[in-house]
Amino acid sequence: MTEEEQTTRDRVVELLNTSTFLQSEKEKIANLAKVQELIIHLEPLLLDSFFEEVAAFQTDRNSDVRKFVVGFIEEACKKDPGMLPRLVPNIQLLLADDAIAVVKRVVQSAAQLHRATLSWLALARTVSPEMEQVWHIITSIKNTIVTLIDHDNDGVRTQAIKFLEALVLLQTYTEADSISRDAEFNLDNVPLTVKVARPRKLEEEARMVLNKLVAFQGSIHISSVNLMTCMSSLTIIARARPQFLGKIINALEILHANLPPTLTKSQVNSVRKHLKIQMLNLLKHPASYDFHENITTVLNDLGVTASEVNKAMPSKDSIKKRVR
Amino acid sequence: MFYARCIMMGELGFAVICSSNMNRSMEAHAFLSKKGFNVRSFGTGDKVKLPGPAPDKPNCYEFGTSYDDIYNDLLRKDKTLYTQNGLLHMLDRNRRIKPDPERFQVCKDKFDIIVTCEERVYDQVLECLEARIPEENTPVHVINIDIQDNHEEATIGAFMICELAALLSGTEDLDNDIDELLHEFETKCQRNVLHCVQFY
Repeated sequence: MTEEEQTTRDRVVELLNTSTFLQSEKEKIANLAKVQELIIHLEPLLLDSFFEEVAAFQTDRNSDVRKFVVGFIEEACKKDPGMLPRLVPNIQLLLADDAIAVVKRVVQSAAQLHRATLSWLALARTVSPEMEQVWHIITSIKNTIVTLIDHDNDGVRTQAIKFLEALVLLQTYTEADSISRDAEFNLDNVPLTVKVARPRKLEEEARMVLNKLVAFQGSIHISSVNLMTCMSSLTIIARARPQFLGKIINALEILHANLPPTLTKSQVNSVRKHLKIQMLNLLKHPASYDFHENITTVLNDLGVTASEVNKAMPSKDSIKKRVR
Repeated sequence: MFYARCIMMGELGFAVICSSNMNRSMEAHAFLSKKGFNVRSFGTGDKVKLPGPAPDKPNCYEFGTSYDDIYNDLLRKDKTLYTQNGLLHMLDRNRRIKPDPERFQVCKDKFDIIVTCEERVYDQVLECLEARIPEENTPVHVINIDIQDNHEEATIGAFMICELAALLSGTEDLDNDIDELLHEFETKCQRNVLHCVQFY
């Protein structure tokens, strides 16, 4: 062990020891954040020795500390997929936490852990029983989150929608016109030979989940926040996976004609403005050519001027290229 | 009571945004930070625009030009005019708060609540956030309250934004309660707000 590593190790031990006895949760979190920085970024070799001590704070009385632990687990697993078997079970426990804030944080992290696990399986030469076990737990977490779209709490539902969006993007193939993040891991990178996670089955599941999202957007008692989240999620999916453009544009058209009756006047204004932004974004997509008429009809109804529509229209060249 | 609650605030991160990060957002920035909120301010315009000697001759500066430099520039151009119309006073206030006007579109920091002061600014904020593909899905609530761009309205606006900030900070579970709280705010202040949620 180098001298530098030893110094960092001593520092981590000291920070962890003080954290245990700190009364103020803010100081505790600040201390643990320093530990995270040291063992994940500065000396990743120390992660293996100390991850359990940090994860142990998941039983802390304070929900902010538990939320912090969720973030730590996410970072640790992204840094070193070898952490997944050790930490994913903790995440499963935290998903059942009493505090809503912790549950929301877990759902947010679960999307990243889901991606990290699939990428870990896809890159491995052989899938070990340990990997299978992790995939099994992740699948169970995934199934629980899919049901959270009907949770009592609005914020949990919002995070569940974002999880489902990430699931659809992860479990489908990109296309020539896909607009998404560069070098994002998805089904393109999963070999057909991975037995535990068969790409065909994953894709099928993604389609089912997309239908669930579309149905959720159409539910009568949806809150304005979740309605707008859902509209954005569907637009992100349509732009990243143009095969779904037709289905999603249709869903937005139906929404436009039947806004939920529970919205207040100013919520209706916000939703209509949001719909306008989504439709303009879809219009800009070169693959939406076949649906231009549907999109412009909605935009006209929403009071968008012809010049605004023209501005968002893709160039003639890119349309021609596509038609050819 | 209202102020006492403000001081006991939680840790929500606020951004107040107008066009030039001069009058409305800075008035709110000053007021909110005095009340103990964690707040920053921005503008969304291409340039920082201030009234000039005639309506068609505004003073324009790049974002990043310090309030101090703008102050000195106006002082040099026409001390009487800019003292009378309050610009020098405003710039003097601003330079005590932070060094220079900041443009929202280039800021990479994250907030919990973004309050905009006019619909055009709200649109620009949404356009900017929609163009980024969210990575970690942390929500941010964007809320618009229309405030006219003059000194009196900015003062009233800052008070309203503070009221809203106190309302939003006073809840245990913002994401769940925001629809209701905004409705309450609208009824109380007799103003319509626009609201939507975006993700980082």
